[in-house]
Amino acid sequence: MRPRLRPRVRSALFALALGGAAPLAAQAIGQGFELERQGRLTDAANVYLTTLRSDPANLAALLGLERVFPSLGRLAELLPLVRRAEGTDTVNLLLRALELRVYAGLDQSDSVRAAAERWIARAPGDESPWREWAVALEDQRLFDEARAVLQRGRRALGKPTALAFELADLAQRSGDWESAATEWGTLVAMNSAQAPNAIAQLSDAPEDQHEKMIRVLTGAGAAAATRRLGAELLLGWGDATRAWAVFAPTVTQSQDAVLALRRFADRAATVPGPEAKRVRGLALSRYADLVPGALAAQARAAAARALLDAGDRAGARGALERLAADPSAPADAQALAKATLVEILIGEGQFDSAAATLAAAGDRLNGEDRESLRYELVRARLARGELERAEQVLAADSSVDALALKGWVALYRGDLKRAAELFRDAGPYAGEHHGATERAAMLALLQQIGEEQDKDLGAALLLLARGDSAAAVAALRRAGNALPANNGRADVLLLAGQVAMALGEVRDTTASEIFAGIVAAGSGGAAPPAAELGWARLLLRRGKAQDAVAHLEHLILTYPGSAVVPEARRELERAKGAIPRS
Amino acid sequence: MKRREFISSVGRTVGLSVGAGFLGLGPTVRLSVSPTLLIPMDDAQSDHLKAYGVAYRVIQAGLKAEWLLNYRGGSFFVPDGPAIRREAALAGVALEPVDDARLTAIRGEIAGANADAVPLEKAPKVAVYVPPNAAPWDDAVTMSLQYAGIPFTKIWDPEVVGGGLKDYDWLHLHHEDFTGQYSKFYLIYSGSPWLAEMVHDNQTAARQLGFESVPDLKKSVARHIRDYVENGGFLFAMCTATETLDLALAAERVDIAASYADGTPPDPQADAKLDWSRALAFTGGHVEPDPTVASFSDIDGHQVNAPGRRQPLGAFKLFNFSAKIDPVPSMLVQNHRQVIPDFYGLTTSFIRDRLKPGDTVLADEEGAPWVKYIHGDHGKGTWTFFGGHDPEDPQHQIGDPPTDLSLHPHSPGYRLILNNVLFPAAKKRELKT
Repeated sequence: MRPRLRPRVRSALFALALGGAAPLAAQAIGQGFELERQGRLTDAANVYLTTLRSDPANLAALLGLERVFPSLGRLAELLPLVRRAEGTDTVNLLLRALELRVYAGLDQSDSVRAAAERWIARAPGDESPWREWAVALEDQRLFDEARAVLQRGRRALGKPTALAFELADLAQRSGDWESAATEWGTLVAMNSAQAPNAIAQLSDAPEDQHEKMIRVLTGAGAAAATRRLGAELLLGWGDATRAWAVFAPTVTQSQDAVLALRRFADRAATVPGPEAKRVRGLALSRYADLVPGALAAQARAAAARALLDAGDRAGARGALERLAADPSAPADAQALAKATLVEILIGEGQFDSAAATLAAAGDRLNGEDRESLRYELVRARLARGELERAEQVLAADSSVDALALKGWVALYRGDLKRAAELFRDAGPYAGEHHGATERAAMLALLQQIGEEQDKDLGAALLLLARGDSAAAVAALRRAGNALPANNGRADVLLLAGQVAMALGEVRDTTASEIFAGIVAAGSGGAAPPAAELGWARLLLRRGKAQDAVAHLEHLILTYPGSAVVPEARRELERAKGAIPRS
Repeated sequence: MKRREFISSVGRTVGLSVGAGFLGLGPTVRLSVSPTLLIPMDDAQSDHLKAYGVAYRVIQAGLKAEWLLNYRGGSFFVPDGPAIRREAALAGVALEPVDDARLTAIRGEIAGANADAVPLEKAPKVAVYVPPNAAPWDDAVTMSLQYAGIPFTKIWDPEVVGGGLKDYDWLHLHHEDFTGQYSKFYLIYSGSPWLAEMVHDNQTAARQLGFESVPDLKKSVARHIRDYVENGGFLFAMCTATETLDLALAAERVDIAASYADGTPPDPQADAKLDWSRALAFTGGHVEPDPTVASFSDIDGHQVNAPGRRQPLGAFKLFNFSAKIDPVPSMLVQNHRQVIPDFYGLTTSFIRDRLKPGDTVLADEEGAPWVKYIHGDHGKGTWTFFGGHDPEDPQHQIGDPPTDLSLHPHSPGYRLILNNVLFPAAKKRELKT
């Protein structure tokens, strides 16, 4: 909501705006301000009164008294001083406003009206008397009367946008968001620079008012700027696709439209979700069509990034192709385009093309970006089972990131000992946090297994990496059952059960069997309580809360030292309905 | 149980009639000496809030426990047994087995310090005054009771007006507006579905119970609640329920409700006509007349929704009482933290100048003109008022997600609520003079 200036604040601002007062008077006024700041209001009032004795129309002194008198219960004393000042300075409209506010402060509504009418008669084309009159009424919470004054003022002034701020503000304060939207829509149509203010004011509307407001702003006959206002509100309220559908047809070569388009794209960046990212990409692409040279290239690169983040590879590719065809594009935009193109190619499985594009980019990509894309390509090859190709790329690389990736290659080949060594050497700093966590989990599993080589386990884990989870479950079960009971069997089976559980209800029975087997075997280590937790979660998923509670209680009581006990307690709370839905 | 009579016999070595089922023993037996498990309530405790639930269920099972006031944050002695150990393990509540030598040492320490052991005998029957359709996590007390596993019954206007309060030992009120003005959200949140539902439910209840308006109904409910306390009930109120209950009582013969609530404008001379002798805790308050300002009076110190009057949050400090002489306030302030970050509510705090002379201040903000937590007697019963809405959501806004107490198992603010639940369980003793 737009902050409304209270009379004291307004008068302070007016006072600060005063310039050119005589040095002595200014010094006295400064002294008055200081006394006010110290809370010595009576002393401040005396300073202002002294100033007025020699300079009856000194506005700063009058405004100072307007600030301090109400707290002293002496506001009535100000009225004759204002009248005297008006006699001295007949043209100063600020004195008229002050007179009106003093009457309002004294709760003399008839005098407020009379003062306002006198002021209106002296300044027939001025909005100020209408505004001050309405504010005085609002201060007394006479909202209907204030609205009537503003509407009367608009008619008298003969301008459809006259007093629109005040009418919009008043409508909003009384919960009439539809009228507020109408006022702002009219104002923005006449002056598009007001759009950011309108958005700031209207975006707080309650959800049940949104549709009515959008109808007002985007209905037949609404100006383009008004429709854009509606679109930006829709965007802020999370309906990005509809927002773009409203916005796109209003875009022209005009400067207003281009500025609004940029603002729309920037605003989309603050809205979560893939739809907003896609809409941002579309808006930036359109923006790039309307602006020249380097600006266009940067916008197109950013558009490609946004479209890629939204999962729209085709759209991103289109933007990048246009950028590549632009000889005037600056180097940083070209670099961003190349990097994004490599990502797209990796995502589409075109590894050789990605490698070629990466190699061709050369020095146009900085070292960090180039390495990051190279490792992404290796990971993609691993996920497709291309262990040889992945290893070739990493051969001469001794960085910690490369060691981590080599560890996965060794693991998938069944060389468990080498994999564990490489994971240890890579340490916790290689790659992103998620990768480090995955390696730590795998290292923990490998430490439970005494074998140095296990090709079946390696092959099973490769199936998992390639996304063939169903086959991985069966392979992990086989590999796990082949291990000695105390050499990681339960841990490998636990992984099989967790993968089966992640596959959803179709594999629930398999997961239950695996978890039940681990719990029944009851070996030491971390696997049995983790399996029982998984089992309980499966039961909860199937709506068997009572059975889940029994398992969770058994887990907590049987394995009180297990690391999963806090999780089990939380599941227990959830099973009992004691954790709120959020 | 509804008599506030304490401290006649210390009962430190009282024989324990033990419920067999809970102890996991055979037929009912009598243990000769003492409880042998300590539930620590200092920083050694792993879940302070659930610890209250364990203590409650011990006495609910017919066993006896002891509340060790001012000893390690207000710890508990409970009898040992496999069922209790199981209960605590499942809840994640830390227990410490206590052998005879240590038991003697602890009792000696309590005897020589500002501490005491108060026997807990009977699990209080708890009623929470809440509209029928309110979510269980809509207020701090239902959340804490649910989390601790303490059973409670939800009651509302029909039960209160119908005389149902006599069936309960402890009554909790939270953010109800007893002035009948829908928390003064009627104009501010006009059009919101939840408000429409609130208005509909209250108007329906008023009509069905034969009252002309919701404010009339709420005044009657407030009178029943005061009578309940007068007859020995324990009342605990938070947030707006504190301030508006007293406003409703003081305004028994004057209209303070906005016209949207009862169809008539408030009496312009309402302030002068308020009869504070009818109220429980406050006196001399001035009613907020503006229907668009979600504030009820100048009793609240923080005025969270009053433009220009809102005060920033600080921290409040619990008072330290003599456990042997003032067991009731001592029980109410047992905690492992003495200074607690403040939290807003529609009523956040209570201006000192508005307290009645007999009120006991349990916690205040040093140097501030308001207090946070107060207690007093009325007739044969007691009331306790705690300002604020949710101790773990200091800026609580309408529509915010509910607090998940499993993420705040050590919440000192919620502990204060649970102190109130347990204190009616304390053994009746005559007051020392």
